[in-house]
Amino acid sequence: MTDILVAKDISKTYFDTVAKDDVVALSGVSLSVAAHDFVSVIGPSGCGKSTFLRIVAGLDTPTSGEILVSGKKVSGPGADRGMVFQEYALLPWKTTETNIEFGLRLKGIPKDERRKIAHRFIELVGLKGFEKKYPHQLSGGMRQRAAVARVLANNPTVLLMDEPFAAVDAMTRQRLQEELTAIAASERTTVLFVTHAIEEAVFLSNRVVALSGRPGKVIADIRIDLPRPRRWEELVRDQRFIAYRDELTRCIHGNAPVHGNHA
Amino acid sequence: MSLADTSTASPVAPRPSHRGRFWWFSEILPFAVGILIWQALSSLNVWPRVLFPSPLEVAQAFVEDIASGVLPVNLGVSLQSLLLGFVVGAAIAVPLGYLMGLNRAGRDFFDPLVNLLQAIPGLAWIPFAILWFGLGQGAVTFIIVMSVFFPVLHNLLTGIRMVQPVLIEAVQTLGAKRWAVIAHVIFPATLPNLMTGIRLGIAFGFRSLVGGEMIASTNGLGYAIFNAQQYFQSARIVVGMLAIGITWLIMDRFILRPIEQRTTMRWGLVREGIETA
Ligand SMILES: Nc1ncnc2c1ncn2[C@@H]1O[C@H](COP(=O)(O)OP(=O)(O)OP(=O)(O)O)[C@@H](O)[C@H]1O
Ligand SMILES: [Mg+2]
Repeated sequence: MTDILVAKDISKTYFDTVAKDDVVALSGVSLSVAAHDFVSVIGPSGCGKSTFLRIVAGLDTPTSGEILVSGKKVSGPGADRGMVFQEYALLPWKTTETNIEFGLRLKGIPKDERRKIAHRFIELVGLKGFEKKYPHQLSGGMRQRAAVARVLANNPTVLLMDEPFAAVDAMTRQRLQEELTAIAASERTTVLFVTHAIEEAVFLSNRVVALSGRPGKVIADIRIDLPRPRRWEELVRDQRFIAYRDELTRCIHGNAPVHGNHA
Repeated sequence: MSLADTSTASPVAPRPSHRGRFWWFSEILPFAVGILIWQALSSLNVWPRVLFPSPLEVAQAFVEDIASGVLPVNLGVSLQSLLLGFVVGAAIAVPLGYLMGLNRAGRDFFDPLVNLLQAIPGLAWIPFAILWFGLGQGAVTFIIVMSVFFPVLHNLLTGIRMVQPVLIEAVQTLGAKRWAVIAHVIFPATLPNLMTGIRLGIAFGFRSLVGGEMIASTNGLGYAIFNAQQYFQSARIVVGMLAIGITWLIMDRFILRPIEQRTTMRWGLVREGIETA
């Protein structure tokens, strides 16, 4: 397998203009993602996960280091790195349908064709019947489905997701996670997923990368060998799943077991 | 629950709470109450008629002024000045607003100038307006331009500053470049503020229209009000005032509101009000 995304020695220092002080968010993070792989980045709050993902997206520039996608250096945002945000970020003035086909419209794909593609993804994420609704008419979970479909329909080289399910309730979250693993597998999407929930990372990924507390450094990189399709009812009792979860928990929190971390 | 709600709710139903068989009643009620109070006050006969004309007198004057053609002519003149002044003012303010909001150099250059000029009321331009355009519609229109310009510009700038960065970033990761970001994110996102700016602009325009016509013109509603005062025709003063109010009501109801109902309200960006608080 070829590495489709390469992050070389990424460091990021923010300057706090109020405290007149440097904040080192990331320090020397290197990471390669193979095509069709599902990789999660986990770490404690404030360790620079979002910063890292934004740098990959081209929405932030690293203080040092570089990102290569399909061998090309990233210099700004682009359609090859579609991002799903925690706050959905759907355009309120576009319907589900026109939101989802927006990327295709930018590419100049004719209306009939892009509508067909959009409808395939609307069905894929279970939003049939809501094509003509505006985002404010959808529930939180439906909005996040639309946001995922919007990026998937645009067929990015890498799908970037920053805690996309943090704002929905636990039940909806588990359903969305199951759907995401199924879709990523069937569409063979390359995914870089950021979360602070260890169980979520293990459940979704083929590989989990753990960052230390700020400044973020890679402290663990573990392959997750669990069969797909994955379902919560089965995995919560699966000894291998539990072993992965405990291993990562020890990595991040020392030896203390964590409770109440939502999956 | 939420599924059923969203699938049945019509996004454009303008005033669901007023949609009964007697919806017109709630539309008329505020005006009926206003007229009743007015009539009651004038029946007290505390003030001389000239100082406080009754609704009936005003209605009579209204009919007379329409029949004689005075009111339609003055109204026409005023509307023309207002519309032209508004269009010119907005046509300068809107592009300048986007230039200042989206371009550092544009902002740095124009911001001090705008700040200097905006404290000057439109009516302060009357002397120059008369010198440059002579007494008449030209002068009035110029004053309206100066009054419409700043509220439109200011609200637009506020709107641009409030656009959520995440919306811009999201479409950038879908491949949007600068112009697509402006057309598909910044423009629609600034519509609520633009509408507020237009509302205020027209309201300021009306103020300057009346003031301007009183001093710098020989026709129009403002002149008619001023003229009626000279002859102690107080009912006709009220006719002029009401004509302005009714004109605004019609513009709001049949132009501005429908635009908002089709755009910002439909998108869930603005509501009519908040009944739960
Ligand atoms: N624009 C910014 N200016 C200054 N400091 C910033 C900025 N963005 C992030 N930081 C700092 O960088 C550090 C990493 O932030 P980041 O958002 O990447 O954390 P995170 O790992 O995503 O945390 P969380 O799990 O809470 O989302 C934090 O200490 C934060 O305060
Ligand atoms: Mg974050």
